[in-house]
Amino acid sequence: MATQLQGKRILIAKPGLDGHDVGAKVIALALRDAGAEVIYTGLRKTPDYIARVAAEENVDAVGLSILSGSHLELVKLTAAALKREHADDVPLFVGGTIPRGDWNALKESGVDCVFDSEMSLEQIVDEVARRLA
Amino acid sequence: MTDATAPRAPINRRALGRALSRIADAMVAEALAVLDGEAGAAREVWRCGITGPAGVGKSSLVGRFVNARLAHKRRVGVVAIDPSSPYSQGAILGDRIRIDAHGDDAELFVRSLASRHARDGLADNIANVLALLEAHDFDDVLVETVGAGQSQYEVRELVDTLIVVLMPGAGDMVQAVKAGILETGDIYVINKADRPGAKEMVAEIASVLRHPQSSDDWLPPVVLASALGGDGIAELDAACEAHRAWRASHLDAATARRTRRRAHVRALVARRLAEVTDGADDALWDVDVASAYHAVVAGLDYPRR
Ligand SMILES: Nc1nc2c(ncn2[C@@H]2O[C@H](COP(=O)(O)OP(=O)(O)OP(=O)(O)O)[C@@H](O)[C@H]2O)c(=O)[nH]1
Ligand SMILES: [Mg+2]
Repeated sequence: MATQLQGKRILIAKPGLDGHDVGAKVIALALRDAGAEVIYTGLRKTPDYIARVAAEENVDAVGLSILSGSHLELVKLTAAALKREHADDVPLFVGGTIPRGDWNALKESGVDCVFDSEMSLEQIVDEVARRLA
Repeated sequence: MTDATAPRAPINRRALGRALSRIADAMVAEALAVLDGEAGAAREVWRCGITGPAGVGKSSLVGRFVNARLAHKRRVGVVAIDPSSPYSQGAILGDRIRIDAHGDDAELFVRSLASRHARDGLADNIANVLALLEAHDFDDVLVETVGAGQSQYEVRELVDTLIVVLMPGAGDMVQAVKAGILETGDIYVINKADRPGAKEMVAEIASVLRHPQSSDDWLPPVVLASALGGDGIAELDAACEAHRAWRASHLDAATARRTRRRAHVRALVARRLAEVTDGADDALWDVDVASAYHAVVAGLDYPRR
């Protein structure tokens, strides 16, 4: 039984307007199966809400799932909101449909790791575990 | 409530979030060090438990109820517990989505906890967690238990008012009576009033509740509600205020404090016992039961820090 993420608390959040959360739910379950305590926000949450939940829940990481194409803006807003809650030290991950060309810009906005849709669940869990170790 | 004219310091969500993790993750020694000499909150804080079977609508109801409490200008802290997987120890903490869908109220704080080692519908160190919230200037502290089993017994002693939530459906009544649910609640809510059979269930539950022995006893009201539509929330709020008033005039504060403290100490000892038995060498379980018992008991204590 995988227990790489035991004792970790992770927020999986969907900012913005896209209406699909199958991917986010699959990730949440995979993280749970690796031992993490996962807080999932549901669809269409504001960056302010996400930052507030991250602070209240004292999570070890925030994962944003974004399919709407507005990832550059949403990440900037979320990073700023985390800063307002004094939670900008929490690692920020992003997954969804993110073109490679935008990765550097996201990292400059404070993203620690981008997960692309080619990665398997196992690879994603391993990478999260490595970064939170 | 505090002085209405003096503005309250805003909730420091980051600091409180961290402090809650520290106490929720603490070994008993550390929890005791935090609690040593702690007298508890100086102000009167109302503690309310919300329990009931899985999926009856506890979280949805808490979400509605919180708004009623906030409307009284009360600062509200909520602890919502979801079960940990016995296989991976992981958990999906899903209560809070229904509790603070908008999450922009300055006077509300919500924290999710996984049940971890606790087998009683609560979470590790829950008594410490509630005490910590109390010390942080909240007026109301609400705790939603895991929706299964016999969680009502343990939470009973930790709260002032226990709300038991049920919903209409075949077998519910039998289940509830079997589980002893109808002896522990201060207030019963039949949720999902929009579903068939809800009204009948209110009458049914009211008829089988324990009847007061004297006019001084509290008669638990049965409130019909719909967390979906928001019906019955004002009645629930009124029932809670009535129960608070009844407690204030009928219960001796010293007795209530003793009950609360006994539950807290028992929880700490139970947790300490788990620490000792989980951490023991295999060799301990090769000796006879009486010897192992004495070795475990001797291992429970350590010098006070
Ligand atoms: N029809 C109807 N459905 C409701 C009502 N209240 C809640 N629900 C639904 O019941 C389901 C469970 O609601 P929750 O609030 O998560 O129930 P819970 O008791 O907190 O569940 P657990 O924490 O998992 O035990 C959800 O799908 C809600 O939308 C209601 O008044 N009427
Ligand atoms: Mg719930």
